[in-house]
Amino acid sequence: MLQQGQKAPYVRNRDSAFTVMMDVVIALIPLYFMAFFFYGLRALMLGLASAAAAVVSDVACTLLEGKKPYPRDISPLVTGLMLPLMMSAAVPYYVVISASVFAIVFVKHVFGGVGQSAFNPAAAGFAFAVACWPTQVFSYPAPFSAPPAFQAVTEGLSSSPAWNLFQGGVPAEDVLDLLLGKFLGPMGLTNILVLATCLFYLLFRGAISWQAPAAFFGIMVVAMLLFPRIPDTGPMSLVYEATTGMWVFGGIFMLNEPGTLPKRSSSRLAYGALAAIFTISFQRFGRVEQTFAFALLLTNVFSFTLDRYSERLLRRLRRVYLATRTKLSEKKSAQRA
Amino acid sequence: MKWVAGFFTRGIILEQRKEPALRRKLRTFLNANYAGMLFDSNLPCDGAALSGDQIIEIARLANIVDERDGLFLHEKLTKAKKMKIRVAVGDAIDDEPYVSSQMNPLLFLQKEAGEGLRLAAKAVGNPKIYFAVYKNLSDLDLKTKIPKEIDGVEVRRIHGRYPAEFRTMDDFDADGPTVLIGVCSLIHLYRAVYEHRIQSTCFVTVAGSCVANPTNLEVSIGMTPTQLFERCGLAEEPGYVIIGGSMTGEICEDPDHYLVGTMSRAVLALRDEEKKRRYQCIGCGRCAEVCPENLTPFYINRYIELGRYEALAFYDIHRCIGCGTCSYVCPSKIDIAEHIKQAKGEMKRRRQEREVG
Repeated sequence: MLQQGQKAPYVRNRDSAFTVMMDVVIALIPLYFMAFFFYGLRALMLGLASAAAAVVSDVACTLLEGKKPYPRDISPLVTGLMLPLMMSAAVPYYVVISASVFAIVFVKHVFGGVGQSAFNPAAAGFAFAVACWPTQVFSYPAPFSAPPAFQAVTEGLSSSPAWNLFQGGVPAEDVLDLLLGKFLGPMGLTNILVLATCLFYLLFRGAISWQAPAAFFGIMVVAMLLFPRIPDTGPMSLVYEATTGMWVFGGIFMLNEPGTLPKRSSSRLAYGALAAIFTISFQRFGRVEQTFAFALLLTNVFSFTLDRYSERLLRRLRRVYLATRTKLSEKKSAQRA
Repeated sequence: MKWVAGFFTRGIILEQRKEPALRRKLRTFLNANYAGMLFDSNLPCDGAALSGDQIIEIARLANIVDERDGLFLHEKLTKAKKMKIRVAVGDAIDDEPYVSSQMNPLLFLQKEAGEGLRLAAKAVGNPKIYFAVYKNLSDLDLKTKIPKEIDGVEVRRIHGRYPAEFRTMDDFDADGPTVLIGVCSLIHLYRAVYEHRIQSTCFVTVAGSCVANPTNLEVSIGMTPTQLFERCGLAEEPGYVIIGGSMTGEICEDPDHYLVGTMSRAVLALRDEEKKRRYQCIGCGRCAEVCPENLTPFYINRYIELGRYEALAFYDIHRCIGCGTCSYVCPSKIDIAEHIKQAKGEMKRRRQEREVG
């Protein structure tokens, strides 16, 4: 025997944890391309700094736990790449680096590493950055203003249309600009068309399942149409909210993070719905202009509970089904006799 | 629900890899010492002249074992007769990749299989009879066509994803209590009735990526895997040898001395091209998506890893059929099915200890 330690089944699916994570990284590349297009080299450098910080802190934590680092586990890379996309392109380097170190050390490794974290690391890193440096995270440079790649950006910063919406105003931007992502906003998630493409890519690759995003986007869209934040705008309200808010990006990339997502399909639907309800209520009653990350952190808490309830329901249904089936077959044999 | 063709069944779509073994003619590979051994009986060599009880008696004399479940055919038929069976199904489902040791004999020994099924049906009180063959969603390019009727018996296709065999009962349940009998044992029943032959052979698929000429063989019981590989030729040194299907079979540690028997069904010589990389569980939940019994292998595996066996009952671990789909899809290459199997054994052991102590 040349090869040992094989266990049934001997044919296996070709997908591996590496390819699943790599799909997410590939889906993030067009967002970085858009960020580079709008803000130049600084966008890429922020991503690089954050990713490097995440990978280094992950390796350090793994070594501290007394385990061997495993280079094919690229989950810290995913977290590190997601974080700067949610922030302004003018954000100082120390903000993204500390956010990604916080995400990896205090949210991922404290809970036990890959697949064990109770909270979404990227969302928690963003929440940390917002709590510590709200001004830096939420002041945006204009697209094509070419912020310097390495120096601190202090001039030409202003607030985004999301702030406008939060204040109860109507964004002044052109609709076409909004749809193409040419407005003040987080560096990677203003272009809703690219985000939609990423969603379809991930769905068709099977990297994410459809249940949670379907419930989430379904409820979000219905809520935006029926109860707009700005009255008398009709469907335009949806365009404003979807283009300026973080929830489209979050619903694609952060909501479906495998570690925190419930495992049963029915609980995934409930999870997406819960995330949508929290996001909307935080928007209405919250104190921050981008609420998705905080809503997601709250939803994460219910992940296990939802699975538990789903399993309990399933157990009951299974028993009812088996009992009816036996009863039916008994009835049939009685008829025959 | 025939029209949905099983698209909504839970499970996985597997590349079947049955060709070319399925297409090739069934060959024999016999040990001269006990090929064609007969039993003593003064019953006539004619199925029409025999009564049902006499057929069961012949099955007992010929020592026929059903390759489906390892039961003696005469015991199975006696039990089925008592249960007043309404449907008898000749099982040639073979839903695992590479394995075609029931389909191939059914296609090449049609007369024996059909007459065997009729004899078995006569023994259990003349129920309706069918053959059951698996129809995979991906075998559109299969060169072998399964006929609609074999020797006057309707062939029903079991549709849907792998695993399909455990679903067979549901497909026939509508007509009443059903018995499933392996096609190979039906062929042996035919030979026992018409030639008074003792079952001394079994049907085995020799296949796998290392086998030069994948073939279905009728071999004498007690051959070794090495002999079978010599017969079919090895294209390269096998990485490991499996007895049984590629999804649920077992590793054969010693191919020189292992003896192939009625339950073997397939001998596979495989070799993994890539090194199997293992990862930590990322919690993607794909195992729960594919489980045909709708269990949640993710939580079962986690509680097993934590050693909390008392929590497993909540997740209905006893409903696991051991098909291995969870291990198949796992992107972290965790042997979930193997863990569940071991945990079941461990739970049984603990229960027995508790009863004794």
